[in-house]
Amino acid sequence: MGRRNVTARLAARRDLTEDSFSLRLRLEGAFDRPIPGQFVMIRPAGGSQPFWRRAFSVAGFETDGAGGWLDLMVKIVGPATQAWHELPLHTPVEVLGPLGAGYPVDQAHGRLALIAGGIGLPPLVYAIPGLARRGVRWDLYLGAATASRLVGLEECSRLADTSGGRIIIATDDGSAGERGLIPVVLERRIDAGELYDSLWSCGPMAMLRAVAEVARRRHIEAQLALEERMACGLGVCLGCVVPAAGGGHLRVCREGPVIDASRIDWSRM
Amino acid sequence: MTTPDLSVTVGGLELANPVLAASGTFGYGLDLDDLCPPERLGGVVTKGLSPKPKAGAPMPRIAETACGMLNAIGLENVGVDAFCRDTLPTLVERGVTVIVNVFGASPAEYRAVIQRCETAGGIAGYELNVSCPNVSSGGMEFGHDPALLEELTRLCRDATRRPLWVKLSPNAPDLVATARAAVAGGADALSLINTIRGMAIDPYRRRPELARTFGGLSGPAVLPIALRMVHEVHRALPAVPLVGLGGIETGLDAVRFMLAGASAVQVGTATFRRPDTMLRIIDELAAYCRKTNTDRAASLTGALEEIS
Ligand SMILES: Cc1cc2nc3c(=O)[nH]c(=O)nc-3n(C[C@H](O)[C@H](O)[C@H](O)COP(=O)(O)OP(=O)(O)OC[C@H]3O[C@@H](n4cnc5c(N)ncnc54)[C@H](O)[C@@H]3O)c2cc1C
Ligand SMILES: Cc1cc2nc3c(=O)[nH]c(=O)nc-3n(C[C@H](O)[C@H](O)[C@H](O)COP(=O)(O)O)c2cc1C
Ligand code: FES
Repeated sequence: MGRRNVTARLAARRDLTEDSFSLRLRLEGAFDRPIPGQFVMIRPAGGSQPFWRRAFSVAGFETDGAGGWLDLMVKIVGPATQAWHELPLHTPVEVLGPLGAGYPVDQAHGRLALIAGGIGLPPLVYAIPGLARRGVRWDLYLGAATASRLVGLEECSRLADTSGGRIIIATDDGSAGERGLIPVVLERRIDAGELYDSLWSCGPMAMLRAVAEVARRRHIEAQLALEERMACGLGVCLGCVVPAAGGGHLRVCREGPVIDASRIDWSRM
Repeated sequence: MTTPDLSVTVGGLELANPVLAASGTFGYGLDLDDLCPPERLGGVVTKGLSPKPKAGAPMPRIAETACGMLNAIGLENVGVDAFCRDTLPTLVERGVTVIVNVFGASPAEYRAVIQRCETAGGIAGYELNVSCPNVSSGGMEFGHDPALLEELTRLCRDATRRPLWVKLSPNAPDLVATARAAVAGGADALSLINTIRGMAIDPYRRRPELARTFGGLSGPAVLPIALRMVHEVHRALPAVPLVGLGGIETGLDAVRFMLAGASAVQVGTATFRRPDTMLRIIDELAAYCRKTNTDRAASLTGALEEIS
């Protein structure tokens, strides 16, 4: 399965917007290459706070002879994410991962819409180089409340230049790109003739639900990266479940976080 | 000093070491195989099993609290058939000591789970989770009413000759009375404690954090209460083997429970925080024994010295 619990060091941090930042962790020793969409559970080593580790999607991974570099993007929403913004560099960190099921990169083909809202960009940014290698064409829909909250625009533009993708921006207030919610902008473009083989999305639940609706109406497959509160991230506490189509549950940390929209029973969500 | 002997006996059941995985925190035994191999533990207590699969409670089911967590999972499980068919054979083949945690909505359901397991073979023993409402008679929790508990224990006792443990609820009005009732019904050992009823509130949304409003508190927050309860039952019933749990995170925590009267311990929530916690606890226990010239970990049970 390739899950490991290892110690890493906080190697670098960079502010992205006023309430989001990137983290780079130095992993010493073996760590399996995460699949885009997989996540890690982390906390500062040794301490007792926070009580649970916190889940973050892998935004980048590289290896060299001695170990690996793990990149994350974090939005400050509460005490733990705030603490990561202040933690001194070189602090030892416990990293558990890679966890869960990622995007089906190996089956990707044709043309994809990648749809990120809020802090939903990390797994999609991490997926792009692999998609480009497979010759998959992509449009990245990037949504935020307002222009100053658009995370990772710079990085995305660079990826668009090097791997031939397109970026479509939407803000709720129209301060950048098209005005409106990202799923509405997406559907407008599909109406206007854009053809997609699959919709890959990550972001707030309300957005994912709307993307699932678009996918259902337009008969397009959708792969959604879900988020739920997690105590273990390992599949044993059953705290992170979503209702499955046909009955029962899916654990977001095991069967997910990336789940085909048609496997979810949205009526019980 | 030579390697200390960590083996213990709990009411006739021999364990290679006193550290078991607590029910509901280690899946069905193989879920964390890659991070904490079950055969290295004293034993594994399965997720609570009912006769039929159960979907459990609505979301949200968990909340983080100071030094602990609340859960209201609602006993979601795959059902005893699926466990016996899909997981048990591998556990038995691997030599894992398996304790099946049993629950039901009626005494007949408890017995049905045990009867199904008896046909499978290879199970080391049973632990009854009696913190569930008895739907067949008004919804009172089995573990809250000594008479009901004694009757339930006896019914299960008659269904198996394997070790039978009863897991006591810390929410019972009279803990020692329920302990006595379980023993009178034929329990070989008592495990304690299950989670303590609690609540968390989101102040901005002005809503409970859990869909079920109330949930069970676990983790280090409950350790002093659990320790007190183990010791209280040990004082009242010194001959009855106890399995202590509630907030254990380190080898020294395990030692504390043993000194208070436990023959073995279980570790639950700590596994969520670090999946190999139990392996570390076993190592730390051995280190404690070496440091204190304790040849046999079993000699720690009840070895508390009172302050005169
Ligand atoms: C698989 C997965 C991948 C994730 N990837 C990222 C990522 O790449 N970048 C990022 O910034 N965040 C990510 N998150 C969310 C991140 O884990 C939470 O924001 C974090 O746990 C909040 O911790 P806190 O102590 O700062 O806030 P808390 O005080 O714990 O929470 C603040 C608010 O956020 C809500 N919340 C808490 N945990 C979660 C959660 N897991 N999902 C949704 N809402 C939550 C709470 O209900 C509360 O309203 C991911 C979550 C999951 C499950
Ligand atoms: C998520 C979760 C699920 C649990 N499920 C069960 C269960 O199915 N049956 C049971 O008897 N106890 C269950 N418990 C209780 C634990 O086995 C244990 O008694 C309690 O958590 C206290 O120990 P701890 O502090 O080490 O976790 C559960 C606890 C948690 C946190
Ligand atoms: S977080 Fe524990 S099962 Fe998913």
